[in-house]
Amino acid sequence: MAVSTNFWIWIAALLTLAIYSFLYKDNPFYKFAEYLLVGISIGYGISVYWHNTIITKVFNPLVYDKNFLVLIPLILGLLMFSRFFKNVAYLSRIPIAFVVGAGTGLSVPSSFEFLFKQIYATMPLKLDIGSLIIVVGVISTLVYFFFSLEHKGFVGEVSKAGITFIMVAFGAAFGYTIMARVSLFIGRIQFLLSDWLGIIK
Amino acid sequence: MLKKILLLIFLVFSVSLFSQGNDSIIFLENQNPFLDFKLTGSDIPNDGGGGIQINWCFPDSLGNWFLTVLRRDDSNNIMVVATDLLVSSMQVRDVSSDEEPSRVKDNSNYYYTGILSKNMISEEFLNRLISNGSGYSKNGVYIFGNDTFYVTGETDPIVSKSSWFNLSRIPVLVSLIIIAFVFLYYLNLAKSGKDLYIRKINGLDAVEEAVGRSTEMGKPIMYILGIGYVTDIPTIAGLTILGRVAKKVADYETRILVPSYDPVVMTTAQEVVKEAFTEAGRPDLYNKNDIMYITQDQFGYAAGVDGMMMREKPGAVFLQGLFFAESLILAETGHSIGAIQISGTTETAQLPFFVAACDYTLIGEEMMAASVYLQKEPMMLGSIAAEDLLKVFIMFLIITGFVLSVLGYGLKIEVLKNVFDWLIKLLQV
Amino acid sequence: MKFINFINNLDKRWIYLVLALCIIIPFIFPVGFPMKTTPPVKSIYDFIEDSIPEGGVVLIGADYDPSTMAELHPMAKVIAAHALSNNLRVLFVTLYPQGAGMAQDAIDNVLREWNKSNPDNPKKLGKDITLLAYVPGVSAVVLKMGEDITQTFNEDGYGNKLSELEIMKGIKNYNDINLMVELAGSSVVLTWLIYANGRYGLKMGIGTTAVSAAEYYSYLQSKQAIGMLGGLKGAAEYEHLLDKKNVYGGRKDASIGMDAQSSAHIFFIILIVLGNIAYFVKKKKEGK
Repeated sequence: MAVSTNFWIWIAALLTLAIYSFLYKDNPFYKFAEYLLVGISIGYGISVYWHNTIITKVFNPLVYDKNFLVLIPLILGLLMFSRFFKNVAYLSRIPIAFVVGAGTGLSVPSSFEFLFKQIYATMPLKLDIGSLIIVVGVISTLVYFFFSLEHKGFVGEVSKAGITFIMVAFGAAFGYTIMARVSLFIGRIQFLLSDWLGIIK
Repeated sequence: MLKKILLLIFLVFSVSLFSQGNDSIIFLENQNPFLDFKLTGSDIPNDGGGGIQINWCFPDSLGNWFLTVLRRDDSNNIMVVATDLLVSSMQVRDVSSDEEPSRVKDNSNYYYTGILSKNMISEEFLNRLISNGSGYSKNGVYIFGNDTFYVTGETDPIVSKSSWFNLSRIPVLVSLIIIAFVFLYYLNLAKSGKDLYIRKINGLDAVEEAVGRSTEMGKPIMYILGIGYVTDIPTIAGLTILGRVAKKVADYETRILVPSYDPVVMTTAQEVVKEAFTEAGRPDLYNKNDIMYITQDQFGYAAGVDGMMMREKPGAVFLQGLFFAESLILAETGHSIGAIQISGTTETAQLPFFVAACDYTLIGEEMMAASVYLQKEPMMLGSIAAEDLLKVFIMFLIITGFVLSVLGYGLKIEVLKNVFDWLIKLLQV
Repeated sequence: MKFINFINNLDKRWIYLVLALCIIIPFIFPVGFPMKTTPPVKSIYDFIEDSIPEGGVVLIGADYDPSTMAELHPMAKVIAAHALSNNLRVLFVTLYPQGAGMAQDAIDNVLREWNKSNPDNPKKLGKDITLLAYVPGVSAVVLKMGEDITQTFNEDGYGNKLSELEIMKGIKNYNDINLMVELAGSSVVLTWLIYANGRYGLKMGIGTTAVSAAEYYSYLQSKQAIGMLGGLKGAAEYEHLLDKKNVYGGRKDASIGMDAQSSAHIFFIILIVLGNIAYFVKKKKEGK
């Protein structure tokens, strides 16, 4: 394989290098690439929302399907803009109240179901060392986040075990994060070496 | 059974010899070898109506066959519910929706019939069958072209109903009521002036040490509220802790810098610091410009704060609030200038970074508890106490389940096994 | 002591440089570190291999964008290829606009590579594999799919009517999906678990970034998901399993990266050990 002749691959490769140049020192190439990214992501987001929300959810139903029920959420949405005018700013509370209320109503039962699932998953069907560790870990972590009792004596010991479990979990998460960051870097290097320079297959 | 199938194969064979064109349908009545295969239907429970579920059981030999389900209503309109389902899927739902309101309506009778086939059903056959009026409902065998289709008998009339309540979620409702009750009880208790205990939070003790040491070195203190808004709970908790820190700062007559991400948070922080300085009796030390706005771009903010840290070299850095990917960038810079760092956030993904790079970290709920500890507001105290009680309840539930499972499944005590199964069923909403 | 001072004062840029070399060199001169498959990966592989009849359907959720593509894209390709090799039908679905581009790229790639290595059993877009159109609404989409998939999307990602596509024959809702593997680095995994698995009992596997892997282990233990691919390592394990079957000739993106990953990890372990030694020696000295 040889060096790519595709214009867009060159653009992508140069932008990748521009971002990585930050590791040496902050410089204009990095700044250019960063601003470009911010600008493009905002532009892309707006175009997607314009098409998928304004056009498909508001314009089409209203104009083609004559579905006037759409007006209710549309008006609620527009009320959000009342925040910009001091004397009617209170109107923006109506859509916020709607979103908060509906959102809570939707999420409360699901959150409970989720909590229940996690509770019964903690109860083991067969006794092995793994499930014992899980039960002890869950209980002692809960005790650590217990604020109405002084952490002394027995409670203190249990909460000490709890914070140990929490730290082990943090350690695992930290390790995984390093692994993920390296993977991202590997993905870029793979792109540079294979798609751009053609050094590897 | 074998006899019937042989007869059928013979019939199919002879029929295909005689019928030259592929366009005629041949119907054989009462020849269906799969008489045991029946559809059953029922209203989908706990839904908003407009839905019927159709179930079937099947012998293993039919596992890879296809099933097409048809529906007839009282005025003999025929609809295709679904074509070519794998027989092994055992269920299909006939549901009306906004796009197709012509589907199942509540309180009318529907009759369902299935068509079994070894290969996928041909569309032409299906169209002709439907256009044939209610003729398909006859239980029998159809031969069309090279394919054979086995039509099952019709189900009894099935009616769809809407339910007011989803009864399977009763445990959720009960839990919700219990939780609301517990919260209200403790809230009332706290309001009525009863002293609710809240333990000391370890990181808070370090505040004094950090401010003191920083003053000794003649360096300012930096307080970073993260990239949350004033509506975010961690940011509010961070502002409460800021009040405490600012008071210590005024006591020690040193300087506090608060670079902000959000203008509203900045204004609030200014108020908090001003009040704390006044409370400490040193309003003259308060400098509004030390609490400044940086930018509302995540990494721009991180870069700005980093630069300020490198220039001002604070002796103590507080990171209290909502942090995302910039957490390590900030904490690492603070560490590199040798400041004492006290951090706190509820973002679990960022906590490992803080634990690694800071001297003290308030983990998740500890941060809220710290702000309650400082503020001692009845509403907050009550909710902390209520949360603790609910934690006890969850612990009790887990331990009970654990013991029951060990005794019931491990030692095979039948009664406890049943109790355990019942408990699990209750939790499987 | 000199060495300890050297470590404490080392310019970070040297570390960056060595890390870059640790990653680039194994690409050019592969070492071939041994690979062990873990149970969460194997259970997804085994389920697709043994438990889905021919003509069954695998749904792949492509809810990622270029920022986590390095980890999740190889998963999408290898799972799709595996499903095709068993003559299963593959549907891609995405709840995020950026995911559509990712899914299309995976489909193009898999189809091209598959047809190159298996000219006698060619696969076709719209018959064996396709992408459902992007529809906004996230949890609403997941819920609606439980009732009727064709009605939820109307079209595939290429603008064809779903009702006219051969691949959709016999697929009405989650009951006709044998397995869903959700690939995401965000909490959208939970949306699928709560609504599709919780409410409709859809069988699910998870493919996620290494950052989120630790978090999602609890859903394996609670049996809400049958298995999980965690990060590039998970993808590489899957490629390794499929490679043993010897049916697909596509590039093994994840496996190629594994040597680099391992060497970077070795470098990090050395740094952590050295850093800790330097820290404790310095602390001891300051304490004196």
